[in-house]
Amino acid sequence: MKLKRTLAAVLAAAMTLSMAGCGGGGNSSSGSSTGGSESGTTEIVFWHAMGGVMGEQVDLMIKNFNESQDKVHVTAQYQGKYDDELTKLKSAMTDGSGSGPDIVQVYDIGSKFMVDSGYIVPVEDFIAADESFNKEDIEPNLVSYYSVDGKQYAMPFNSSTPLLYYNKDAFKEAGLDPEKAPETFAQVLEYAEKLTKKDGDKVTQYGFSMAIYGWFFEQLIAVQGEFYADNNNGRTANATKVVFDENGAGLNVVQTWKDLVDSGFVGNFGRNTDDTRNAFIAGRTAMYLDSTAQLASVIKGVGGRFEIGTGNMPRIGEKEDGGVIIGGGSLWIIDNKDEARKNAAWEFVKYASSPEAQAAWMQGTGYFATNVKSYEIESMKTYLEENPNFTTAINQLHNTPTNEFTSGALLGVFPEARAKFEENMELVLMGQQTPEDCIKNVATAVNAAITNYNETTETAK
Amino acid sequence: MKKSAVAAKTSPQNPQKNAIHKTPFQKIEPYLYITPALILFCCFVFFPFAKTLFLSLHSTTPKGEISKFVGFSNFTSLLTSEAFRNSLFVTVKYSLMVVFFSIAAGFITGVLANEKIPGTGLFRTIYSLPMAISSAAASIIFIFVFHPSIGILNYLLGTDIGWLISDKWALFSVVMVTVWMNIGLNFIFILAALQSVPPELYESASLEGAGFFRKHLSITLPCISPTLFFLLIINVINSFQSFAQINLMTKGGPGQSTYVIVYSIYQEAFFNNRFGLACAESVILFFIILALTLVQFRLEKKVTY
Repeated sequence: MKLKRTLAAVLAAAMTLSMAGCGGGGNSSSGSSTGGSESGTTEIVFWHAMGGVMGEQVDLMIKNFNESQDKVHVTAQYQGKYDDELTKLKSAMTDGSGSGPDIVQVYDIGSKFMVDSGYIVPVEDFIAADESFNKEDIEPNLVSYYSVDGKQYAMPFNSSTPLLYYNKDAFKEAGLDPEKAPETFAQVLEYAEKLTKKDGDKVTQYGFSMAIYGWFFEQLIAVQGEFYADNNNGRTANATKVVFDENGAGLNVVQTWKDLVDSGFVGNFGRNTDDTRNAFIAGRTAMYLDSTAQLASVIKGVGGRFEIGTGNMPRIGEKEDGGVIIGGGSLWIIDNKDEARKNAAWEFVKYASSPEAQAAWMQGTGYFATNVKSYEIESMKTYLEENPNFTTAINQLHNTPTNEFTSGALLGVFPEARAKFEENMELVLMGQQTPEDCIKNVATAVNAAITNYNETTETAK
Repeated sequence: MKKSAVAAKTSPQNPQKNAIHKTPFQKIEPYLYITPALILFCCFVFFPFAKTLFLSLHSTTPKGEISKFVGFSNFTSLLTSEAFRNSLFVTVKYSLMVVFFSIAAGFITGVLANEKIPGTGLFRTIYSLPMAISSAAASIIFIFVFHPSIGILNYLLGTDIGWLISDKWALFSVVMVTVWMNIGLNFIFILAALQSVPPELYESASLEGAGFFRKHLSITLPCISPTLFFLLIINVINSFQSFAQINLMTKGGPGQSTYVIVYSIYQEAFFNNRFGLACAESVILFFIILALTLVQFRLEKKVTY
């Protein structure tokens, strides 16, 4: 009896452990795609991470592509958020079942991992062999982000930059010019003071707020015209450590951020970007930072209750060669050793970055069009004239110099680096850590992660 | 148990003797019956279990492939890491609160719904409802409830508390959501147990002049203690494994104030790509739950029914 019970206890506990092991196993349920030769149509699978409004737009694009020709048939599969999708990709690629996709959408900070992974064929190979595709049509800043040693690895698909969203009605009420967004963080604070409304001690409308989001930290370092990591942001060679602690850029960001929140005019709604967005939509904060990709959703959420304005990412510091880094995701072609499917994948990638597809994508989501020719389409011109908020992001990008600061860092451990920053930034905002300690702790943790990443990827080679 | 022992003694045929005359097929027959279950267990429990043990002794590449054998260094680095000790501490704090409040809430709602008052059926439905809601859906609802400026909780209380963004409240808030989710199951089990308590006991207690509290303390609690014990085990294991609400509501923050161990495993494996380290954490969690379960079984013997 006693043995039985002990055994039962062991089993019960083992059940708990098995969940961790499942991560390696994977549950990729993609229909393994084999070229359907009878009709001459090549079946390919596209994995993406676009939910909600964006997911609907992806489905629309796929439908249009499939109907536009009969050589390639794409099946889109939503695989959850970017992180989940990448995890599934890893297990699909390592278990040897061939159940992986032919095209996969990966977020900006997964780029270094994809380059190192050996899963993919650089799109440059297809570009070079395809006369009909003109690389100059793609925004140069985007090409530079996804290029390593001059070779383009992925095709930008859903590209964004951070924007300052603001409530024009609140601006008018506070006596501010609703057509002029603050340009520096010093101005943000000035505006925020005027925009803050109080009911007794309780703030009913904050002037400004920003989610505790690692992406903003990276942006604000680039805006200062400084590097995040060594070897010119990991572009000339693999990054071996971060440098934002040495060049002072990191401390500037954390100190500015803390001063904003300490002023009492700036709200802190935590790490979840949705919470800050909802506060803006509900009129509880008059300005906030968010990706341009949310524009369509925010307009839908506000529903005309107040007028929305957008401005450039406010600046810290005065350096001219700083600017925003692009965010979002790109399409990667998987090296599945099947020429027909790889070529079919390229056909879709080419379509997805065509002027027409990107114009429709921009209007449906808020991501700016990656193809410069999109902006020459007549219907697009009319649309942008009527909805000037959609042009803020692309204008901001065009005003950003293309250099190593604004190309963004290539780092295999970005997801971890962001989490470390967010955790330590919270401690600063709660007054439990000085900005100096915050930067020191983030740098130490990220450096250890980089060392580990480089070691394990080295030994595997 | 006793009855069957007596029956065995008095039965004229000794079952042991019969066993000798079994055909080979009869001998393996029982094993055939458990084979399907065993195969399932091997695939979904024992194999991942073995793989986890194996991986915990290795370092892995970002792709999740084995990089090299590192012996116990994953374990030593965990046990000496302050972050890991903190996450153990947070997990214990979290579990204690969840288990206590969940069972207490289940007991109180159970006792209330067991009273013969009008509308009992309605209350029973309401109390067991949270069980039908997935933890992810519940978390999303509570994110809105807890929102510092548009949340209904601050509005109702007239407070200005960042429930999920202040380290003083975040753990408590997540605990409350978990308790809310647990109430349904605990309520149903406790109610079922309450209904099997013989009513004569209450009647004779009433004759002796026992009041409401006295009756529940001296009769109800001992009578339903096997159920309470079962719930204790289930609740402890569940609370050690809470993940969705942490991941969705706080992501372990603010700081590391809600960084429970399962979230830490997830973070190491799928964010930081250190599968070896994550597996080592799972192994440690396994031993903790194993130890707790064994201790609880020991305690069970001391509980009088």
